[in-house]
Amino acid sequence: MEEEPTFDTDLIHAIFKNIWTRRALERARNEADDAVDGEQAGAGTTKKNRLTSANVNALKLSCELLRLFVTEAVQRAATIAEAEGATKIEATHLERILPQLLLDF
Amino acid sequence: MASSGPHVIIGDTDDDDFDWDAAVRAIDMACQSSGPSTSTAPADPFRTPCFAPSDALCGGFDAPFAADKRKNGASRQSTLDKFIGRAGPRLEVENRAVAVEDRGSFDSNGEVSCVEIDVEAAKTWIYPVNVPLRDYQFSITKTALFTNTLVALPTGLGKTLIAAVVMNNYFRWFPEGKIVFTAPSRPLVVQQIEACHNIVGIPQELTIDMTGQISPTKRADFWKTKRVFFVTPQVFEKDIQSGTCLVKYLVCLVIDEAHRALGNYSYCVAVRELMAIPVQLRLLALTATPGSKQQAIQHVINNLLISTLEYRNESDPDVSPYVHNRKIELIQVAMGEEAIQINNLLLNVIRIYAARLSAMGILLNRDYQTLSPSDLLNSRDKFRQAPPPELPSVKYGEVERFFGALITLYHVRKLLSSHGIRPAYEMLEEKLQKGSFAGLMSRNEDIQRAKLLMQQNLSRGTPNPKLSKMLEVLIDHFKSNDKQSSRVIIFSNFRGSVRDIMEALSKVGDTVKAAQFVGQSAGKSLRGQSQKVQQAVLEKFRSGGYNVIVATSIGEEGLDIMEVDLVICFDANVSPLRMVQRMGRTGRKHDGRVVVLACEGSEMKGYMRKQANSKAVKKHMRNGGIASFDFHSSPRMIPHIFKPEVQFVELSIEKFVPRGKKVKDDHAETLKYRDKLTPDEANLIAKYFNNSERGWKPSLIAFPHYQTFPSRVHQVMHSYRTGMLIDSMQHLQGHIFSRNKDEEEFSSFQQLGAERVGQQKDDGEGFLRSSKSPDANPERCTLRFQASPTRTVGTAEKHEQPELNNGNPPPHSCLFSSDFVTVDACGNVSILLVPSLHIMEISRTKQNSTTTEHLSCSKTHFDKSCPSNEKIKVQATLPKGPEQTLPLDMPPNTETGLQFQLHSSDWQQNGIVDTIERSMGIKLTDEILQNEIDSPRGTPDVMEVKAPLPQADDDMETALSPRLTDYFESGVVPESPVGGASCAKDISEFHERDNLGTPKRAKISTGILSTSRSPSSGKFEKVVSDSFDSGENISGSPANNTKDSSMNNVKDVNERCTPGTPASEKIPPETTGSGCCSKDWCFTPSNCSGSIKQQQKLKRLRRVGEGDSHLYTKCRKNSLPSVAEHLAGMESIQNKRSRGKKNCYKNGKAYIDEEAEVSSGADTSDEDEEDAENDDSYDDSFIDDRINPTAGSTQAATASVDMIAVYRRSLLSQSPIAWQANNTSTSSPDSLAVGTRMSGSGCSSVVHTKYRVSGSSEYAANVIPETGEASKVESRKRKLGVHEQGSLPVVNLEREFSIHTEFVKEENGGDCDLFSDDQFYESIDLDEVEAQATLLLKHKTQFSRHEQENVPRQDIQNSGCPNSPSFDLGI
Repeated sequence: MEEEPTFDTDLIHAIFKNIWTRRALERARNEADDAVDGEQAGAGTTKKNRLTSANVNALKLSCELLRLFVTEAVQRAATIAEAEGATKIEATHLERILPQLLLDF
Repeated sequence: MASSGPHVIIGDTDDDDFDWDAAVRAIDMACQSSGPSTSTAPADPFRTPCFAPSDALCGGFDAPFAADKRKNGASRQSTLDKFIGRAGPRLEVENRAVAVEDRGSFDSNGEVSCVEIDVEAAKTWIYPVNVPLRDYQFSITKTALFTNTLVALPTGLGKTLIAAVVMNNYFRWFPEGKIVFTAPSRPLVVQQIEACHNIVGIPQELTIDMTGQISPTKRADFWKTKRVFFVTPQVFEKDIQSGTCLVKYLVCLVIDEAHRALGNYSYCVAVRELMAIPVQLRLLALTATPGSKQQAIQHVINNLLISTLEYRNESDPDVSPYVHNRKIELIQVAMGEEAIQINNLLLNVIRIYAARLSAMGILLNRDYQTLSPSDLLNSRDKFRQAPPPELPSVKYGEVERFFGALITLYHVRKLLSSHGIRPAYEMLEEKLQKGSFAGLMSRNEDIQRAKLLMQQNLSRGTPNPKLSKMLEVLIDHFKSNDKQSSRVIIFSNFRGSVRDIMEALSKVGDTVKAAQFVGQSAGKSLRGQSQKVQQAVLEKFRSGGYNVIVATSIGEEGLDIMEVDLVICFDANVSPLRMVQRMGRTGRKHDGRVVVLACEGSEMKGYMRKQANSKAVKKHMRNGGIASFDFHSSPRMIPHIFKPEVQFVELSIEKFVPRGKKVKDDHAETLKYRDKLTPDEANLIAKYFNNSERGWKPSLIAFPHYQTFPSRVHQVMHSYRTGMLIDSMQHLQGHIFSRNKDEEEFSSFQQLGAERVGQQKDDGEGFLRSSKSPDANPERCTLRFQASPTRTVGTAEKHEQPELNNGNPPPHSCLFSSDFVTVDACGNVSILLVPSLHIMEISRTKQNSTTTEHLSCSKTHFDKSCPSNEKIKVQATLPKGPEQTLPLDMPPNTETGLQFQLHSSDWQQNGIVDTIERSMGIKLTDEILQNEIDSPRGTPDVMEVKAPLPQADDDMETALSPRLTDYFESGVVPESPVGGASCAKDISEFHERDNLGTPKRAKISTGILSTSRSPSSGKFEKVVSDSFDSGENISGSPANNTKDSSMNNVKDVNERCTPGTPASEKIPPETTGSGCCSKDWCFTPSNCSGSIKQQQKLKRLRRVGEGDSHLYTKCRKNSLPSVAEHLAGMESIQNKRSRGKKNCYKNGKAYIDEEAEVSSGADTSDEDEEDAENDDSYDDSFIDDRINPTAGSTQAATASVDMIAVYRRSLLSQSPIAWQANNTSTSSPDSLAVGTRMSGSGCSSVVHTKYRVSGSSEYAANVIPETGEASKVESRKRKLGVHEQGSLPVVNLEREFSIHTEFVKEENGGDCDLFSDDQFYESIDLDEVEAQATLLLKHKTQFSRHEQENVPRQDIQNSGCPNSPSFDLGI
C-alpha cells in the first residue's frame, strides 16, 4: 500500500488536533461566558468538551486526500509556471489554478 | 556529634542545634535521657506503636517519643559513623544498616527507603531570596527541614513559602525522591502549584497537579514520571491504597490546611497508611488555625505525627512587622421588633416542650432560653443510650419527637436572629410541610401566629436590620474607597441569606457589583455553582467585574481571593477557626477591615464565647506548645553526617505555565520546524504567512481569464462543477464583450479588475478589513474608481456611498448604489467597484440618455448605472404594457440607488402610483440587476465586516469584480450548478437563476444585483446565467456573511434581514429579487436579446414573476428596491406584497407608509413583522400556496403539514419574502391552475398543490432551494415550462424540497442562514440544472402559456391589486 510516500499521519493528526483544540477552546470560552452570565444561580455545567478525534483509517484517508490535493496543486501550478517560463512556482501561479482546483476536489 | 567527617565541617553548628534541640525537648518530655548510643532493643517496641495507624490517636506517646527520637538520632548517627569513610553514603544503605541494627522487623521489607541522597546537595540547604527574607519564615523553615512540623501561622504570612522551600530542598537532596503537597480542594491545589512554582521554581516538567479529574491510570503514570505532586488528599489516599503511588520514594509530604486532619479525613488515613508501610518521610503541616480546642490540636498532632509546633501569632515580635493592621469591628444589631415577637412566640413553644422533657427528667432543668441545639443533641444522645428507667418505653417515641421539634425550633431561632426572618420562615415552612414536626406543631397556635407574623413581615418587605446595617457599612465603605479597586467579601453561613444579601445588594445601585460564590452542591431551592462558574466569578472579581462577593464557607479557606479591603461577617456565631479564616481574607497585603455583624442576644453571646475560647487555645500553643501537647518523634531524613548549611540563593524561576495550556510545546514545535528551514524558505513563509494572523490568502478571483478555459490537470480530472465554472466564466466574459460595445470600457473594466486585484493584493486584507468600516469605504471607492476607467462613476459612487451611509438601510445602499453601494454597504468597495464599474460605465453611457428620457430623471446616476439595458428594458416593457410603466419606476429606482434620497422619494412614488409600481417592476429589474451586482459585492463586504468567515468571501468579493468580468466573459460560474442550468435554459433558466440568484442576492443583497446587471447589460441569457452563477456564488458567500454577521447592527441587520434573515429572509429577498429578477430578466431579454422569443420569454418570465408577484409585481418592485435596501427592502417587499394584497386587503396606504418607512430605513423589523402579519391575514391562500408547493414537492400530505408549518413560520419570520414567495407561488399556482385546471387562482390549496405537483417538480425545487420565494417564482416559470414538458426536475426538486423544508424549519427555529445557503446551493444546483434543461425546452411554450396564464391571473389578482402585472398564468 505504501508505494508512495505520503504525509505523516501523526503530522496530519497534529494539525487536525490543533484545529479541534482551538475550536474546543473557543467553545469552552463561549460556554464559560454563558455560564457566568446565565448561570448566576446556575446549574453546574458538567458537560465536558470532548475533543474531536479521528480514527486511524480516517486519518490515513485524510493524508492521502491531502497528498493528492497538494500534488495536484503543485503540478498544475507548475504547468502554469512553465508556460510563463518561470522556474519557480509563485503564489500567483497557484491563484490561477486555484478556483478550478478547488472545484475539482 | 560523632560525625566529624569532612562532610560536616561547616554545617556542624546548624545541624547540631536542631538535633540537640529536638533531643533536649524529647528529654524534657519523656524525662528519659539516654546517650547518643541507645540500645537497639528498646527502640523497636516504641517505634512500632508510633507508626502504627491505630496509634495515631492515642496519647501517651511521651515515652516512646523521647526514646524514639533519641534512638533515631542515635542509630542514625551510629550508622553514619560507619559510613563516614565512604564517599557517597546512601540512605538506603543507612536504612539497611539501621534495619539491621535497630529494627530487625524491617528486614523483611527490604529497603525501607530506597531514595538516594545527593551528597553535594545535602551539604547545603537553599533559601531563596527572591522575596524579602522574613525571620520567622526562615527559622520555621529551618525547623521544618529536619523534623515533622506543624506550622500555625496567621493567614497571609507566607506558609506556602515555607512549604515551598522545604520541598525544594528535599527535591535537591533526594534526586529520586518524590514530594507530595496535599491541599483539600481542587482550586487550592491549582493555586498552590503555581504559588510554589513562583517561589522556588521547581522545574515544571517534574511537577504535576493531580485531582480526581485525572483518571487513575494516568495518575499512575504520573506517579512514575513526575517528582513533585500537588494532589488532593482523597487522590493521595486512593493512590496509596491502590499502590499506584510509589510510596517508597516519598521523602516529603506537605499538608495544607492541616486542621482538617481529624477523624477519618483523608489526611489521617493517608498518613496512617504511609506509616504502616512504613515510609520515612518528612511531614510538614500548615494551617492558620490548628484547632479551636486544645484537644483538637492534639488530635491533629497525633494524626500527623508532629514533633514540633511552630506557632506564631500577630503579636509575636518577629511576625508583627509583617502583619497589616486589621481592624475588627463588632457591630451589634438589635433584633427587629417583629423578630423579637416571633422569637418570643417560638420560645413559648420551646418552653412547653422543654418543660415536658425536664419533667421526664431527660432534659436538664435550666433556662430554656440558653439551650442550644448541641445541648439538645447531647441530651438526646444521653437519652438514647440510657433512657431513664422510670419512663415507659411507649413514651420513647414522644420524647424523640420532642427533641426533634426542639432542635428544629432552636435552629429556626438561630436563623431568625442571625439571618433574618426569611430564612427562618422558609425553614419553618419546610418543616411544617412534613414529618413529625408538622404533626406536632401544625396546630400549635403560637407557631401559627409566628408564621403569620413572618408572612406579614415578608410581604411588607421590612428589611432585616442586619441587612440594612450591612448595606450601610458597605455603602460607607465604597464612599471612602474607590469602588473600582476596592473589594469586599461578605460571608454568610447560610445560602438562603446569601440570596437575601444578593437581593438587597441588587437594589443598591451600580456602585456595588455583587456576585455570589457558593458551593457546588445543589440545594433544595438554590442551585450550586459549578467550579467553572466559581472560577469565572473569582476571575471577574479579580479583574474588577465584581467588587463584592457574597460567599458561603467555601470562600473562607485558602482560596486566594486576592486582597480584600473589607470583610463583612454576616453571621457571628461561627467557630473561631472559621472566623480566623474569614478575617484572613483581608489584611494580607495591606490594612484591612473586618466587620462582624452580630445580633443581640444569643448570637452575640456565642460570638464572645468563641472568641474567648480561641484565646485560650492560643495560650496553649505558646512556646511551641510543649507544655500543652504531646509530640511525636520523627526521623531525620538527612543523615547526621550531613550538616546542611544554609545558602541564600536567588532562584531563577521560569514563568509558570498552567497545565493544559501548551504554549510551551507549541512554541517549541514552531521553533523546531524553523530550524530546518533555510533562510530563503523562512523568508518565503514570512512573506505569505507571517504578516499577520490572517496571513496571505490566495485569491480566487485574481485571474478570471484563466477560468475561462480548463487548466491542465495532472492526475485529478476536472469536475463537473469546474466545467460549469468555465462555462459561466466564458459566458460572462463573452457577455461583457458583447455588452461593452465600447472596447475601452471593457478593457477598462478588465484593467480595473486587474488593478483592483493588484490593489487588493497590495492592500491585502487591510483593504477588505478597512472596507469594513464605512468611512474607509469612500476612500476605497475612490481608489477603485480612480483605478477604474470611469472616474465619474467613481464620483457617483462616492456620492452614493455617503448617501448610503446617511441612513438608508444597508440593503438599499447595496441595491441602489449596488455598484457603488456595495462598497458602501459592505465596506468592500473594491468588489462593488469592479462590477459596478462595468455596469456603471455601460449604464452611464447608455443609461444616461435612456434613463433621463424614460424616467426623466433626475436619477441620471442610476440611469447611467442601469445602462442601456435598463433603457432597453424600459423600452421593452413599454411595449409590453403593464410593464411599460416600469421604465418610469426604473429610473426612480436607479436614482434612488444612486441617491438614497431619491430612493425614498421613488419609493413613495411607487407606493402612490400603480403605474409607478409597474414601472417599479422595470426599475426593479434594473435595480435588480444593479442590486444583484451590488449585492454580491455588498454581501462579501458585509461578510468581511462581520467576520473571518467572510474573509474568504472578501477575497471573493475583491475577486468579484474580476470574477464578475470573468463571469461575463466566461458566463460559467463554478459555484452554482444552477448557473449552468440557467444558461442552458435561457430565459426561463434566467428566471430561475435570477430567482435563485435573487434569493442569494437577497441574502447577499448585492450579489444578485451584479449578476442581474450583467445580464441586463449584455447578453441577457448568458448574463443572466452568469449573474445567477455569480449570484449563487455570491449568495454562498453572503450566506456565510450573514451567518457570520449574525449580530451586526441595525444596518447589518437590515442587510442580514434581506440577505440573511436566514432562509426566510433570504427567501423574501429572493422572492423579491426573483420578482424583480423575473421582471428584470424579462426586460433584459427583451432589451438585450434581439430575439423576440427571448424577449417573449423574458416577458413571460417577467410576467410569471410579475404574475407570481401578481398584484405583487408592485410589491416586488417595491421589494426590489427593498431588496436594494434590504431592510427597507424587506418591509418594502411586504409593502409590495401588502399592496399586491391590497386587492384583498386594506393595506394600501399602510403599505405606502411602510414603504416610506422602509425607504427611510427605519422599523424594518417591526414593519416586516407587521407586514408578515398582514401577509398572513392576507394569505390564507398564501399559506395554502405554500402548502401546495410543499405538497407538490413532496407530493405527500404529511410532508405538506410540516411544510405548511414551516412556511407559516417562514412567512412570519420572512414575511416579506415568504409573502412574495406566496404571492408568486399563488400566482404561479393560479397561473398553473389556469393553465391546467383553471380553477380559482390561489384559492384552493388543493388546486395549488395539484398544480405544483403536476407542474412543478421544478416549482417545488425552485421554491425549496430559494427558500420559497425566488424558487416559487422560478418554479412558476418552471411550472409553465413544466406544464408542457412535464416534470423532469421534479425528483430533484422534491429532494431539494424536503431538504429545504427541513431548512426552512430550522430557519424558522432560528436564523439558519448557513444551512439554508449550502442546502440551497446544492439543491439549487441539481434542480436548477434539470429544471433549466426542461425549461429551455419548454420556454417557448411556456412563455406563451405564461402569457396566457398571466392574463387570467392578472385579472384575478388585478381584482385585488390593480397594479399587479398579473402576467403569470394567462393560460
